[in-house]
Amino acid sequence: MRERSERIRGWVRAERVRGRAKRGVGMNGTTDGAVTVTPAAGVPVPPEEPSPHGLGVSLPPADASAKTEGTFPYAADLWAEGLLWAAVLRSPHPRARIVSIDTKPAAEMEGVRAVVTHGDVPGDAGHGRGVADRPVFAKDEVRHHGEPIAAVAADHPDTARLAAAAIAVEYEVLEAVTDPQLAFEAEPLHPDGNLIRHIPLRFGDPEAVGEVMVEGFYRIGRQDPAPIGAEAGLAVPRPDGGVEIYTASTDPHTDRDLAAASFGLDPERVKVVVTGVPGATADREDPGIQLSLGLLALRTGCPVKLAATREESFLAHAHRHPTLLRYRHHADAEGKLVKVEAQILMDAGAYADTSGEALAAAVSFACGPYVVPHAVVEGWAVRTNNPPSGHMRGEGAMQVCAAYEGQMDKLAAQLGLEPDELRMRNVMATGDLLPTGQTVTCPAPVAELLRAVKEAPLPELPKDTPEAEWLLPGGPEGAGEPGAVRRGVGYALGMVHMLGAEGTDEVSTATVKVSGSVATVICAAVETGSGFSTLARQIVQETLGVEEVHVAGVDTDQPPAGPACHGRHTWVSGGAVERAAKMVRTQLLQPLAHKFGMSTELLSITDGKITSYDGVLSTTVAEALDGKELWATAQCRPHPTEPLDEGGQGDAFVGLAFCAIRCVADVDIELGTIRVVEMTVAQDVGRVLNPVQLQARIEAGVTQGLGAALMENLRTTRGQVRHPDLTGYALPTALDAPDIRIVKLVEERDVVAPFGAKPVSAVPVVTSPAAVASAVRAATGRPIGRLPIRPQAAVAQTVQP
Amino acid sequence: MCQSCHVRAVSTYRTAERNSRDTGEGAAGLTTHAPQASQTVTLPASLDEAVAALTAMPTAVPVAGGTDLMAAVNAGLLRPAALVGLGRISEIRGWQYQDGHALLGAGLTLARMGRPDFAALIPGLAAAARAAGPPQIRNAGTLGGNIVTSAPTGDTLPVLAALEATLIIAGPGGARREIPVSHLLAGREMLHPGELVGFVRVPLLHAPQTFLKATGRTGPGRATASVALVLDPARRNVRCAVGAVAAMPLRPLEAEQWVASLIDWDGERGLVPEALTAFGDYVAAACIPDPVPPQDGSEPATLPPAALHLRRTVAALARRALGRALS
Repeated sequence: MRERSERIRGWVRAERVRGRAKRGVGMNGTTDGAVTVTPAAGVPVPPEEPSPHGLGVSLPPADASAKTEGTFPYAADLWAEGLLWAAVLRSPHPRARIVSIDTKPAAEMEGVRAVVTHGDVPGDAGHGRGVADRPVFAKDEVRHHGEPIAAVAADHPDTARLAAAAIAVEYEVLEAVTDPQLAFEAEPLHPDGNLIRHIPLRFGDPEAVGEVMVEGFYRIGRQDPAPIGAEAGLAVPRPDGGVEIYTASTDPHTDRDLAAASFGLDPERVKVVVTGVPGATADREDPGIQLSLGLLALRTGCPVKLAATREESFLAHAHRHPTLLRYRHHADAEGKLVKVEAQILMDAGAYADTSGEALAAAVSFACGPYVVPHAVVEGWAVRTNNPPSGHMRGEGAMQVCAAYEGQMDKLAAQLGLEPDELRMRNVMATGDLLPTGQTVTCPAPVAELLRAVKEAPLPELPKDTPEAEWLLPGGPEGAGEPGAVRRGVGYALGMVHMLGAEGTDEVSTATVKVSGSVATVICAAVETGSGFSTLARQIVQETLGVEEVHVAGVDTDQPPAGPACHGRHTWVSGGAVERAAKMVRTQLLQPLAHKFGMSTELLSITDGKITSYDGVLSTTVAEALDGKELWATAQCRPHPTEPLDEGGQGDAFVGLAFCAIRCVADVDIELGTIRVVEMTVAQDVGRVLNPVQLQARIEAGVTQGLGAALMENLRTTRGQVRHPDLTGYALPTALDAPDIRIVKLVEERDVVAPFGAKPVSAVPVVTSPAAVASAVRAATGRPIGRLPIRPQAAVAQTVQP
Repeated sequence: MCQSCHVRAVSTYRTAERNSRDTGEGAAGLTTHAPQASQTVTLPASLDEAVAALTAMPTAVPVAGGTDLMAAVNAGLLRPAALVGLGRISEIRGWQYQDGHALLGAGLTLARMGRPDFAALIPGLAAAARAAGPPQIRNAGTLGGNIVTSAPTGDTLPVLAALEATLIIAGPGGARREIPVSHLLAGREMLHPGELVGFVRVPLLHAPQTFLKATGRTGPGRATASVALVLDPARRNVRCAVGAVAAMPLRPLEAEQWVASLIDWDGERGLVPEALTAFGDYVAAACIPDPVPPQDGSEPATLPPAALHLRRTVAALARRALGRALS
């Protein structure tokens, strides 16, 4: 037996060295029957390059090469025999009463197979995540520009679009309510009223006052997730009267439930199959498209496809909440915060979506990662006729971060302190209280993070290179003039919660199967680029010692894993995979342990090889399996949370993540053009599970935050979306992206999280806009209360030669 | 995806019956294959052949780099019945000298114009070409396309306006006519059916030229304002054009004349900083004028903050452009 295990060990090594060597092909150099692990002396050993596996190494994502080479099948590439093409008629008005809809001109067009409107929706009239306040198709009133009114299926995409345009809708245009401050007094835009949620948070003594007080007004724009693949989907009717929807959903079970309720079908007869996800930083898919597709497929009995244009995509999906914030910070003469007063007004757009949760995050983190003994925070999410707002990475937390960090800069200026020094005097640590009354129990190494970014060396000025090569604000061929450029350094500290808040039942179920030398993970967690499927492979490699791990595709026949947001899959689904893998491990080792009269804890698995603590037992996983398949399914359910009460108090969050960013920005103070030179990041990560992926996530988050700080704003004029395209909506390019230096990853394990790891994607998005604004403030001396920063706000008043 | 195909899909089988799990193609017979359709594309080898092709099929659309046209096609805004590709007309893809001028082919790519040999001849145009977009766009986009598209933010347009370039337009039957580029950009003269911009004649001034562009970001982006400035020592002229602030490039003629009168053309050619600043303000005020004061003598309207910022930007660009040209 030892000899046989040695043979396989030799094979494993040969396989690693030769990469793609076929199984069973020779045992390179170690076939002499030696029982030692190392090959006999004299045998040349090729330099071993162990393929990375397990936790803590940089396992590359399985789909990386397909996505790089352009062979990855995205949802827009789906095709089925005899498919029809759908088009959605959308409202051109932000608010109007629908007097009549005449679909006859469209239905009579050659090639048109079905036209559906609100009257053709068999199930519930309303849908929505959380609050079912959104109709599938507008019935009496349209409430935002781009709201679906009807959908058409035809045998050609052009026919479908022409037919959608031929539907005659008579509108009575109404005055749109687009200023969230006017929503309170305006007539109700929806039967549910205009106030979606109000949280009046009171913490400590509301009458407390400090010796120093600063006030500020901040305004955050509408960032769009701008997914590189626009929404797309294919609905295929089933013989049993149900329908299957193939789409790049990030929350398949909720989408399935919405669809089933709208179609008037049992949830079992609607199946959402997740396919071709290009990546997501928000709720990726617009339910309006999936529901239209499903209705048309059920109506025509044919597969129906829709690939949204960029314009449609901008109009339809949820955006970041535009937010108005008014702050008053009180501090003592030493710079210790005494009280924070804040009013937060979030523009939810026409429908509630997840605005309630975003508001809870905004209110709870309104003071930032600072010790604040007294707080009065009033938060509202209101309905307007603006484009819909919903979940987008770091929602709520990002808006308040930009504001409270602006306040900290103001306070530092007032007190004559360095901005980083003022922050250091107030930082929060484990054991401190949030303004919600919740004790921070997870690691909160905020001071350590701030110190790390502060002590990192500043980027050098390009004095030694010729002036023509300097990359100035405005870009390589821009108008930048060295004499007008000022450099500023700014700091920001941010925090974000992980997982659903306020009593959401967080649960994920995963199944692990081992058969031969291959393991498979089945879990309905959607890989949105967050790295879950790579992490799942690493967990199984680590626990079972199996090298080859596959992650199965996701559909709603699997048990739910929750939406892919708030780091849920790293934590909850990763935890479920680990438990399932451990159960398989026990099943695998139990017979062996029994045979040798020892407990399973004394056995270990590495590199497909099972050994006992004393080295007596040595076999392989494949041998121990003996042709059997082992399956195990497990759930992970973090500790429960509670909703915020009427005073905004409650243990609402499972865990928190923190980040410190120092930004160095160059500003051309005549033109107001800004170039971010460097972002220095220190982040609280719990434990590094995949260093390369971690770095990529932080870089991506910082870049998205930079977009929110400098350019990303989906502008509207009285509710009409202007320039819904990627020319008008500028995204950061490689030239805009600064050097991103990760100077410290604090690995203080969070004891309640699986592996002690914290999800990492959201908190850089939350923190970096505030850091950029702080740097521009330092460079120009202007207040910078509005994001994205407009050039006119970054023009310094006085230009000294 | 094939959304621009011109063949109607005819098969609309009821897949309820045909929901073929037995095809071996995966669930519900899904594939990623979609049938592609052909399109009428002509690829003439000479300017006259291209004009003939356009005359023969008036609905056909000429396409050079396609950086604007194909974006419109992909967005579903344009469904050209046929395309006449200009990429194989080698006579318009280069340039030649012609009595003190350069005769530039309309098919010159922006990337080609950005190279050092071209920059030594017409530095302003080269700078505009380099600033026009990311390398992918510059490799495809052409000078003629930039002119014909006449986008307000077209980067080469203010340079051509400042250079007072002339367009040579090819018409049916080998006809050639010439119009100043500003006439086409301002809409005073249009291209007739079947006509193509063949060449652009640009004077060789042997003096500094600058093109400066303000954008919203460090990466390639559309200009919020741009200024092209050329010196013409032979005629003792300064010519300046401001792009992106109006539908066409604007020439501040009075400011040009005023500043040209200050320059010592036979000497150092330098100006004091105050003069540069005054020139910038003059240009900016000419291009973004104050609202006309009301007749009744009431309080005149003020420019909105965004327009004031644009004016400040133009002033800074013009000042810097002149300063660099004279330094």
